[in-house]
Amino acid sequence: MAGDRLRTVANAQRRLPVGDAPAMLILAMFVLFVLSIPKYDLPGVIAFASLPLMLATAGHIAAGPVLKRIALISPFILFMAAGNLVLDRQPAFTIAGITVTGGMVSAAVIVSKTMITLSALLSLISGMPFHRFGTALRSLGVPGVFVTQLLLVYRYSSLLADEAGMMQKARDLRSFGGKGKGPVVTARLIGSLLLRTTAKAERIFMAMEARGFRDGLTTASPQALTLKDLSLLAGMFFTFLLMRHFF
Amino acid sequence: MHMADALLSPVIGGAFWTVSAGLIGISARKITDESDASKTVLMGVLGAFVFAAQMINFTIPGTGSSGHIGGGLLLTVLLGPWRALLTIASVLVIQALFFADGGVLALGCNIFNLAVFPAFVAWPFIYRPLAGDGRSPARLAAGSIAAATAGLMAGAMSVVLQTSLSGVSDLPFVTFLLFMLPIHAVIGIAEGVLTWGVLSLLARTEPALLSGAEGSPRKTRRFAKALFMTALAVSGLLSWFASSNPDGLEWSIAKITGKKGLPTASGPVHTLLADLQRRLAPLPDYGFRDRPSPGLPEEAGTTFSGIAGSILALALAGSAGLLLRRRQAREERT
Repeated sequence: MAGDRLRTVANAQRRLPVGDAPAMLILAMFVLFVLSIPKYDLPGVIAFASLPLMLATAGHIAAGPVLKRIALISPFILFMAAGNLVLDRQPAFTIAGITVTGGMVSAAVIVSKTMITLSALLSLISGMPFHRFGTALRSLGVPGVFVTQLLLVYRYSSLLADEAGMMQKARDLRSFGGKGKGPVVTARLIGSLLLRTTAKAERIFMAMEARGFRDGLTTASPQALTLKDLSLLAGMFFTFLLMRHFF
Repeated sequence: MHMADALLSPVIGGAFWTVSAGLIGISARKITDESDASKTVLMGVLGAFVFAAQMINFTIPGTGSSGHIGGGLLLTVLLGPWRALLTIASVLVIQALFFADGGVLALGCNIFNLAVFPAFVAWPFIYRPLAGDGRSPARLAAGSIAAATAGLMAGAMSVVLQTSLSGVSDLPFVTFLLFMLPIHAVIGIAEGVLTWGVLSLLARTEPALLSGAEGSPRKTRRFAKALFMTALAVSGLLSWFASSNPDGLEWSIAKITGKKGLPTASGPVHTLLADLQRRLAPLPDYGFRDRPSPGLPEEAGTTFSGIAGSILALALAGSAGLLLRRRQAREERT
């Protein structure tokens, strides 16, 4: 699973300086503040890079995997940024004789917002094992059935991915000149994987039921936010508010 | 096609978050009421299956490029709309967290675009009437291809609308739409062909799996849809006719002071708060703060303010009701 590569053993064992649920709320608040920055305000966006930077340094988070993931920015974002670059050619300011257009600034803002919000998200997730993520979601009032669903998808993704990888490799080894790689053969492969999956689901259910599974996987009881958490959230809110005012 | 955080304004992202979170809550309640643990496990494993199936690429004929199945319609046919919504949403959450697809705020839009359209539009209105029980191969093909294409194109249209309303991109609305729709029509047809291929294999080998979606509570769904659409239509359309004349308070003060508008205060605290309000107010004067997409009429800002306002009011009212209910339950226990 990609998450396992992102999350090193050392990171996963390290506790965050705040509880998991408040950390997720702070992240959501952070994203909202970053996205509230107007499209031409590059300094305002750059100022907000301080939070992911602080999270990464204070949490001893391995920068490599996070940076690699950010480098793979979606082509859709780049396309939209390029659109601004081409369509908005009104000069905004001049630096050392070079005219910077409004499109250049707004494109830089789009890319910077993406990098900053994603690095904050990835820095947080890389220090939080998935079962703790599930418990934090329960604490925030997310329905148990949805949390169970997330835990099951996470648990069985790598298992089925291996199987799909083997099927794909077997097909590619038998394919000459690209034959057999069209939608019709692929549909049969996916159908075969689906039949195996449903058979596997039946076996998994019987095994889980034998171990006492009824309808939920969450074992740790969700904890309500404490006064300390609430004051931390209020503190972070005012910090972000001041950052928006001064930058 | 995943929507991204950086292309959204907080209001648009927040509004779609509210709608998607509400639908997840309703789905979770319906599934909990059914209390069928075997289907819970099937949902989990099918979510993992979508990840795995997306690894198997196919060559798009005549282009040299490749694609993969999305799985939205397939999951809806196998699980029914409520369970499919949760399953697709769980896949999207994991994609956002570990593959950096979209982002935290964009998750609401992505769930709406990639899960709600196949589960609540394409499946009940196109797939079911066309494909029926899935026994006729021709009807199954027509239903799968038409529903997958329509679902994907509706999702693409929604992406264009969300981006344009957010006012982050300079791409004109119509140009962006004309760029997105043909591409997604092709992707939709490919998705439909794959879905049809998988479903026809299931129809031959495990026909019982195709009846997994039967027995969904249609009346409640219809009621919820009607309520939602009415709220959107009323708030969106009536806001076009909002009066530009001063409101009651402004009119009274104008009569007393003889000046138009409210008196403004001065001082450092007021200046600080006014600056914060100017920077943070997502829809100042019921319009877009940033210049919206050139193709959108000015009234779109007013319309959107109405829609966003009503969604937020619904969310606030619902939250207040839940808090009161919890408090009552606690008081009854003690």
